[in-house]
Amino acid sequence: MPRNRPGVSRRDFLKAASTGLAVGLAGQSLEASAAPAYDLAVISGDPAAATRKAIEALGGMSRFVQKGQRVVLKPNMSFASGPDRASNTHPAVVYTVAQMCLDVGAEQVMIVDNPLQSAELCLRRAGVAEACKGLKDTYVQMFTDRKFYREIKIPQGKVLDRVEVLKEVLDSQVLISLPQAKSHSNTGVSMGIKGLMGLIWDRWSFHGKYNINEALADLATVLRPKLTILDATRALTTGGPGGPGEVVKPNLVIAGTDPVAVDSFGVGVAPWYGQRFKGRQLEHLLAASQRGVGKIDVEPLNILRVIA
Amino acid sequence: MRATIQALSLLLFTLLFALANYRLPDWLPADIYLRLDPLLGLSAIVAGRAWVSRAMWGLALLGATALVGRFFCSYVCPLGAILDFVDPLLFRRVKRRTLEADGRLRNVKYVVLILFVAAAVAGSSLVYLLDPISLLTRTYTFALLPPFVGVVNLVLDVVRPFTAALRWMSIATLSFVQPVFYMSLVTFLIFLGIIALGRLAPRFWCRYLCPLGALLSLVSPLGRLRRTVGPECPACGACQDTCPMGAAVDEGGTRLVECIQCRTCVAACPEDIVRFSASAQPLPIGDLSWPDLSRRGFLYSVAGGVGLGFAVQASPFTPLQNKVQLIRPPGALPEAEFLTTCIRCGECMKSCLTNTLQPCLWEGGLAGLWTPKLDFRFAACEQECNVCGKVCPTQAIRSLDLEEKTHAKLGTAILKKEVCLVWAQDKLCLICDEICPYDAIVFRTIDGYRRPFVVASRCNGCGYCEQRCPVEGDSAIVVAPIGQIRLRTGSYVAEAKKLQLDFKPNPGDDQFLLKSEGLRVESEKHEGAALQAKPQAAPSATKKPKGFLPW
Repeated sequence: MPRNRPGVSRRDFLKAASTGLAVGLAGQSLEASAAPAYDLAVISGDPAAATRKAIEALGGMSRFVQKGQRVVLKPNMSFASGPDRASNTHPAVVYTVAQMCLDVGAEQVMIVDNPLQSAELCLRRAGVAEACKGLKDTYVQMFTDRKFYREIKIPQGKVLDRVEVLKEVLDSQVLISLPQAKSHSNTGVSMGIKGLMGLIWDRWSFHGKYNINEALADLATVLRPKLTILDATRALTTGGPGGPGEVVKPNLVIAGTDPVAVDSFGVGVAPWYGQRFKGRQLEHLLAASQRGVGKIDVEPLNILRVIA
Repeated sequence: MRATIQALSLLLFTLLFALANYRLPDWLPADIYLRLDPLLGLSAIVAGRAWVSRAMWGLALLGATALVGRFFCSYVCPLGAILDFVDPLLFRRVKRRTLEADGRLRNVKYVVLILFVAAAVAGSSLVYLLDPISLLTRTYTFALLPPFVGVVNLVLDVVRPFTAALRWMSIATLSFVQPVFYMSLVTFLIFLGIIALGRLAPRFWCRYLCPLGALLSLVSPLGRLRRTVGPECPACGACQDTCPMGAAVDEGGTRLVECIQCRTCVAACPEDIVRFSASAQPLPIGDLSWPDLSRRGFLYSVAGGVGLGFAVQASPFTPLQNKVQLIRPPGALPEAEFLTTCIRCGECMKSCLTNTLQPCLWEGGLAGLWTPKLDFRFAACEQECNVCGKVCPTQAIRSLDLEEKTHAKLGTAILKKEVCLVWAQDKLCLICDEICPYDAIVFRTIDGYRRPFVVASRCNGCGYCEQRCPVEGDSAIVVAPIGQIRLRTGSYVAEAKKLQLDFKPNPGDDQFLLKSEGLRVESEKHEGAALQAKPQAAPSATKKPKGFLPW
């Protein structure tokens, strides 16, 4: 969004420029050693620390968010349940990302979802609103009215040629996807690609009208998060997406710029419905990779694995 | 002074109405106006033949009226306040002379009262039709709240471009969920009618029709605060002309049954000789302290009420009871008691978190008008909310804690295979399973596809599946009242145990689950072993969960 700011004094300009230069230099010196950025960062640890470390490993938040930009975070928070049930993203993950966005000068952080239960209850139970209460310019909002959505075309769409997307996403500069790792009785797992369904108005047609796997891949060609951070600190391995179900604790945060690669790696960190799978076995991930959304084979990727 | 108290009372009534939502704290009686209404309590107790402890609040108002007089109508009643406030706005220019039939019309409210009480004796609760507090709460819920929210949202929409440009995001993203109800227009028209009657006479409703006023007037002559007129009264008739209740009579007399102590006459008196003072005198016996309804009128009213009471019940709906497709709120008394105890105030429907509670038109017969039902195709009953019982002034919906409420089974979901997308069209749909908070939907492999089944013993009838089913038209999964638990007394948890129902979702119920696996992931991580999983032996095609391709 172009912003005209006439009337910036020379002093302000110089101040800002020198600060920017200093920050840039400082950042460069810190991350110079990590220059060959990893494709994926797989960090073990508690939700907040692992998230922070994962973002730093990928080159820091400044790689994704510029000063003055508006950011949309898309965690899972569409069920009225707490972190223990593993159907929603851990609030500490969301908080950490929002905080880091603000630290690099984001103008606004809008944390959104389109809930399946009462929006008010979801907001309270998921804990994200509570966690982010102290952050300035940060809003946690459920958009349950159609007026907040706008139709866009899907040029590459095979089954879906248009879709109504949350305006806030379309009008912001940065989308960061913060999915919870969980099972899904239709698509196998629900992670980054599946989580994009929370940004559109009419989800029901994905189940009733279209092949959901193909529709998801179509959607992934137009909704492109700059960063995907998969919360696998807990994983709901059965009974997903809403739970209740079996919850295991891989204690991992997986981050990357390629949503398919992140999901594909995520598939491997837990058994789904009691069985081990590879990313390639997930129909919707395979379809997304075939549309060029991302790489489905994680073996050749440069992956950082550390404990936070 | 009186207008201020009236305004405050109306404000309090409105505020309590607004507070009646799922966050209502247990200590706050949002339904206090309804509880204070002795007529509603009386009718519920008589018609329902059962004790209603919340109705005891009504004794407080009766007692206060017996002590002071009929101050309620002019100071407290929110409907009276509205009528008083709109009167100068609408009818300032209208010349209203005392109606010729004033004497007979004043008796109508007693006929109404007797009709309703007699109908209650016959076992039908009809008082809700004209009880002012029930009527106004209902009007607020169905007729005033929806347009109010609509207007607020409209204003927000209009200013949205500006708030968004100014980056006032809290306002720019704000939009309230629009409540909607059946029967909004009917309810509104009745309310409008009551206001329009003011064209004929000020406080037409209070003076001629209100059954609560009639009930209070029976004890109000006992009240010690009485109107007195000095002996020097020149009988100019100013008080008689202005009294909205027709309580002032010739030669400084007062119809004690009619006087609501509004003191309009004090202001109107050119001689300034009208006083309202505490009198130690005993009740003056005479025509003015008892309604002048004839014996014949009384008997006709009783007979009419009893007849009406029976007529309302004399329909197949009464024997059909639980055999109609009607889901009542969780904790609702058994149907017969529910119908006689419910006063149709609409407070439960206002406070309902999901807006699923809707008023019945004919679904429950004539006896079920405006009673709450759940409309699952529209919205579900949220398991974390128990507000409908909390705000029910007659406890036709019992106030239950969340644990008890969860066990008050509403019905059972029935899957219609011929409509279900998975059963009939082999589509990939799981929404009923995804949304079910009780894990009552399980998938089993039939003909190579995983297809949904309902585990009846775990379904508590919350209706999420019916609401969210993506089939167009009627849902492919519908909650029927099968197995509903409706208790007059006692614990729902105990009853559910007896029936071997389990509303605690069991995460172990999934046919693809191998428990040891989950533990191994944990141990792998702790040993710091390779994070990446190795694929296991290829699972057989029939056992593969949906969404996974063969390896």
